[in-house]
Amino acid sequence: MSAYAKPVEILIDELGRLPGIGPKSAQRIAFHLLKVDRVDAQRLADAITVMKDTVSFCDRCFNIAEGANCEICIDPKRDDSVICVVEEPKDIAAIEKTGAFRGRYHVLQGAINMLEGIGPEQLKIKELALRIAAEDISEVILCTNPNIEGETTAAFIATKILAPFQINVTRLASGLPVGGDLEYADELTLGRALEGRQAVR
Amino acid sequence: MRLSKIWLNDFRSYDELELSLGDGLTAVLGPNGVGKTNLMEAIGLLATLKSFRGAPTESMIRRGADRAIVRAEGERDGREVLIELELAKGRTRVQVNRQKLARSRDLLGALRVTVFAPDDLSLVKDGPSVRREYLDDLIVALDPRADQLLSDFERVVRQRNALLKAAPQRVDEMTRSTLDVWDMQFASLGERVLEARYAVLTELMPLVVDSYERLSASAAVVVATYRPSWGDQSLAAALEDVRETDFRRRVSTLGPHRDDVVLGLNGLASRTEASQGEQRTLALGLRLAGHRLIADRIGDPPLLLLDDVLSELDPDRATALLATLPPGQTVISSASGLPPATVPEQILRYDGSTFQQDAAI
Repeated sequence: MSAYAKPVEILIDELGRLPGIGPKSAQRIAFHLLKVDRVDAQRLADAITVMKDTVSFCDRCFNIAEGANCEICIDPKRDDSVICVVEEPKDIAAIEKTGAFRGRYHVLQGAINMLEGIGPEQLKIKELALRIAAEDISEVILCTNPNIEGETTAAFIATKILAPFQINVTRLASGLPVGGDLEYADELTLGRALEGRQAVR
Repeated sequence: MRLSKIWLNDFRSYDELELSLGDGLTAVLGPNGVGKTNLMEAIGLLATLKSFRGAPTESMIRRGADRAIVRAEGERDGREVLIELELAKGRTRVQVNRQKLARSRDLLGALRVTVFAPDDLSLVKDGPSVRREYLDDLIVALDPRADQLLSDFERVVRQRNALLKAAPQRVDEMTRSTLDVWDMQFASLGERVLEARYAVLTELMPLVVDSYERLSASAAVVVATYRPSWGDQSLAAALEDVRETDFRRRVSTLGPHRDDVVLGLNGLASRTEASQGEQRTLALGLRLAGHRLIADRIGDPPLLLLDDVLSELDPDRATALLATLPPGQTVISSASGLPPATVPEQILRYDGSTFQQDAAI
């Protein structure tokens, strides 16, 4: 026996499958949508379908793309010889904001995480190997997250995928936030920053 | 840090309670079931934000109340410190000197406690995990950064086990090369965990012997040996050797998560061959040794909480314990009174409805 009308049940169930939304939130959103004007609900429905129809993943780097390739892959002014490997498209947005990187990207669409059933085969790692074989690349920067899963993914790519190629492989440094005071840094970050110190003369 | 006063509101059975602690020994006396352990739990909470009984926050709030308050006043390096905890369902708020802490874990280390409770007999009697936890807790108490190392290693073990569980019946090349990478992480973090455990055990050993001898008033041969779950080779080599077994059993069969500390007493395995009294004395000796190690290294002795320990010891050992207490504050609870020679600085006695300071002192 269901507590609500069938269509409401279905919507709650669908919403509940989204990341970060539990049964209570799903219920709250469903009831909100039940109350709003038809136009507003339609706008949300349209936004979802239009996005699904027009946006997908870039054939080359698996970033978000409107069309076959993403804006960065299309841009002729970018440096073809450097690839920055990230876990998610949102990581590209973060690195782009720095303006410090002018090369290309490769999005793995996740990190190796056996607890979630994600092995190397579920990621765009094979595609990375194909790109490196086909394109003229001199450096790969591994920008996966500095946690266990990210480090393991970087180690997998470095030792299992990139070993046969004559290219530089680098890893993002971890250290202190700029503009902050030393005393506010957590011990782990400060410890890593000390290990990665650089000569000034 | 030295605690002088504690206030409880709506904490467990207490509607309202105010208590003073002595600079040395404070005794909490009263029959069973009047809330002595609750009081100890509140003091422990101020140090670790966790119940040493493993109780969830909700169960520490008095029935009918929506929050519990634990406040304590003390001094450190000649300066007054006020710690305030507010426990409500699902969250704990912490203030030090009326300043809200951004992260409640920033409190950890402000006040340190060592707890000995009757359950600690498990240190000697139960399986290896209790003893690993005892060592790991000490490692973190001495170096809070090690917490990250231990939780990273634990995560790698879970990841490796998940891979072994998901591996196909006939193990393919991709699974093997993924396991190679997890093994690298497992070995490098595992070796560091191992190194930290050996280091802390080496420092601890003489203190364990000394604590045991003081309690038993006799020379005893106490030996704690770290026993890794693999042979003399490196962890990386051991993982390689055991790989096919791990695939078959679908679990990581060796590593620091399977190690043990074997406790020997006068040439016998204390887990199976020592008497109940010897086991209790050894468990207490382990706690006191950890307490003294922290006191030596940090410089400021933790507050020692001895919950209902006297009823478990024979009169000689009970007397020896109280005669050789380490420096610093100790709070001891007892339902049966104290050994005759003991003169606490403060006695908190249950008077039928609440705890009252003994006027005679």
